[in-house]
Amino acid sequence: MKVGFLHSLIRKDEKLLLAEFDKMSGVEVMMLDDRKLIFDLEKLHFDVDVIVERCINHSRALHALKLFQTAGVPCVNSYDVALVCGDKLLTSDALQKNGVPQPDVRVAFTEDSALEAIEDMGYPVVMKPAVGSWGRLLSKINDRDAAESILEHKTILGSYHHSIFYIQKYVEKKGRDIRSFVVGDRCIAAIYRTSPHWITNTARGGVATKCEVTGEIYELSVHAARAVGGGVVAIDIFETAEGLQVNEVNYTMEYKNSIETTGVNIPKHIAEYVVRAGRGKV
Amino acid sequence: MAVNTECPVCGAEIARTNDMVVGELLECPECGSELEVISLEPFEIEEAPQEEEDWGQ
Repeated sequence: MKVGFLHSLIRKDEKLLLAEFDKMSGVEVMMLDDRKLIFDLEKLHFDVDVIVERCINHSRALHALKLFQTAGVPCVNSYDVALVCGDKLLTSDALQKNGVPQPDVRVAFTEDSALEAIEDMGYPVVMKPAVGSWGRLLSKINDRDAAESILEHKTILGSYHHSIFYIQKYVEKKGRDIRSFVVGDRCIAAIYRTSPHWITNTARGGVATKCEVTGEIYELSVHAARAVGGGVVAIDIFETAEGLQVNEVNYTMEYKNSIETTGVNIPKHIAEYVVRAGRGKV
Repeated sequence: MAVNTECPVCGAEIARTNDMVVGELLECPECGSELEVISLEPFEIEEAPQEEEDWGQ
């Protein structure tokens, strides 16, 4: 089994995953640095049985996955999953279509319509770039003055995709949210991310502690994973007065802070899933 | 045998370890700069790329 390891920088997450492949007999890893790849569309052929995508750039991951799949190589995750999870609007659409509970979301394309949507939703709201990660450029908007200012700044200073206004009703989450890890049809672990700041991403200082995977968390996580197309995904969940709601789904999950916390060897589960995918058994 | 190189930012000594791989992200123990392993033989490191807008998970 030849595993193509699509990457750029090798972070601790990638090293842990590589170590798990190294322990598996009959598995050979071929490193594929996205900074060095050249795709010839007339001769798309790759000498690998499966691709595991660990790029740090969403845009490179997305386009490389498309071409590997065109060449007939199964990918973890698939292009379709990367497409849906890489864009919050597409994620929300998939969750809505599949009846997965999520915070109220509105989408608008102009300053005026976005302001109208925000006023209708009521304050506070959170505005997010449709494509973005690690809690960057999230705006919690508490009043009309802030809404007008943020919308003007995004319109004038942002690139075009910052004028796709993705607006989410702010959820009072009592200082924490849940990150669950789904591999195939199973939710294998979960953590709480706790922070005094309203942004709880561990990349922004959120602290990880173990979260018991209750039946409700398990079911919702697997449901959300299926809604976006399955594979290996991490689900961000809010605990609200109305029950659990899915905030986001991540397709190149980071787990380095979650292995000791949960006691679950997450990269081992991923490596085993990738090999099963290479054998056409997922 | 230990193989060392210098941090391109502050000049601190950076030692190669047995489990290092090309592309690996390191942090300089002295200045805290993020560094990338460019080559193992010879051992070469550079400043890691700056975070871009579409980085993440």
